[in-house]
Amino acid sequence: MKEERIICIGCPMGCRVTLEVDERGEVVGFKGNRCKEGKEYVLEEYRNPVRVLTTTLPVEGGGTLPVRTDRPIPKGKMREGVRALAKLRVRPPVSLGDVILEDLLGTGANVVATAALRERR
Amino acid sequence: MAQTLEVDVAVIGAGPAGMAAAARAKEAGASRVLLIERQEQLGGLLHQCIHNGFGLFYFGEDLTGPEYAHRFAERVMDLGVEVMLETMVTRLSPEREITAVSKEGVFRIRAKSVVLAMGCRERTRDQVQIPGSRPAGIFTAGTAQRMVNVEGLLPGRRIVILGSGDVGMIMARRLLLEGAEVLAVVEILPYVGGLIRNEVQCLHDFQVPLFLEHTVTKVHGERRVEAVTIARVDRSTREPLPGTERTIECDTLLLSVGLIPENELSRMAGVLLDPLTGGAVVDESRQSSVPGIFAGGNVLHVHDLVDNVSSEAEIAGEGAARFAQGIEEGGEGIAIRPGEGIRYVVPQRIRGRQPVTLYLRVKDMAEGVRVRVGDIWERKFRVVKPSEMLKVELSTDELSRIEGRELLVELER
Repeated sequence: MKEERIICIGCPMGCRVTLEVDERGEVVGFKGNRCKEGKEYVLEEYRNPVRVLTTTLPVEGGGTLPVRTDRPIPKGKMREGVRALAKLRVRPPVSLGDVILEDLLGTGANVVATAALRERR
Repeated sequence: MAQTLEVDVAVIGAGPAGMAAAARAKEAGASRVLLIERQEQLGGLLHQCIHNGFGLFYFGEDLTGPEYAHRFAERVMDLGVEVMLETMVTRLSPEREITAVSKEGVFRIRAKSVVLAMGCRERTRDQVQIPGSRPAGIFTAGTAQRMVNVEGLLPGRRIVILGSGDVGMIMARRLLLEGAEVLAVVEILPYVGGLIRNEVQCLHDFQVPLFLEHTVTKVHGERRVEAVTIARVDRSTREPLPGTERTIECDTLLLSVGLIPENELSRMAGVLLDPLTGGAVVDESRQSSVPGIFAGGNVLHVHDLVDNVSSEAEIAGEGAARFAQGIEEGGEGIAIRPGEGIRYVVPQRIRGRQPVTLYLRVKDMAEGVRVRVGDIWERKFRVVKPSEMLKVELSTDELSRIEGRELLVELER
């Protein structure tokens, strides 16, 4: 039996939940959660913690373009994701929502522009 | 001097508050709505807030700052709000005459009503009084955010962050992802200053060392920051405890130590300010003590979610549109006052009997408490924190039960 600690972010309570996990990685017990929604969040956060990655890319001729993954990616791939994007340079014009890179690190998430860039003269 | 411009509603500042106020004023029937912004685009601070978490309440979607700004900018343009960019308001009179300056020069605007939406600014080192020399490498968290996200510059490589406000925590993650080391987040209180979501996703996710009940006692370095000394503080006096000092070698110190509503223009116009919020004293339509001058968003009180900024500014925009159309709420109304355990309440006055939402903050973290509004409303809260704004919705029925001219909001343990 193993214990995993996860802080629930569902509400300002910030419950510190302890999960009891058996040898096969199955959750067999909860301690410290105070609501049903929290239990679901904590289970998901234990099984498959994911985050939306946001960063900026350099633009040819100067400035930056803010981008995001169009869906959450595994939490452990955040740093690797930024590194994978580090060499990209963006050429204007760009529209909001344009796909800048498809399938980041095989996660199935596309990297999309969160702002528009006008063509430079 | 150019001719004077005549408008119905003038909105000063086109961040999230100003855009929402202008849009709502137009929707509420004001014919000429003018939105004045000193930067070259609509959106204000949202452009440098590239992270997600915006719009969960307002749009029911998880947006980044620039995306959230884009939604409102489109609404503003579609509605036919007149926009003046790269224009700075330098003066506002109680008669709602605005002096502004742009590339074309200085000009005047006469408005039937005005919405103040100038937002807030960051508290600086002088205001938190850190002893030591004055080297380069000390930035507010928001300045660092602009450098990284807008200008594409890294402010330093070895970072210490004083204060655990939301921008500070978000910058910890951002700088880490851009290859810097974040050596410490130092917080004087026994809990973080920002949202729990940011504590988990920005600090815990990246194992950022968090020093609660600590502060920076000295900055070292002549030309550039070389190190900072931090120390544990006494829980009650919050004074540094001798013998607990440790020195951390770093090249950058970021400050995330609070925000201050930006009210220079409000003062100029004679708007009465609430020392508890740093913003105007307003009624439920967000009208200030000066008739026809309204305020909404962080210029009124510092919010923790942009969604609330937008919603509140819409109330101000609607009030301003009604005032411009000659509809006025009369009467002194009822004063809303913070009592035991409550830091502030907005609005500070209720004139009518339409449903009202009170926004309030508590002084300290507490568990298992009751919030009581006079004897018309009460509710139990499992936990309350100064960093998480509470909302109390009062119905017409509850408001009609008010006796007397004052309503006290209290925390009961």
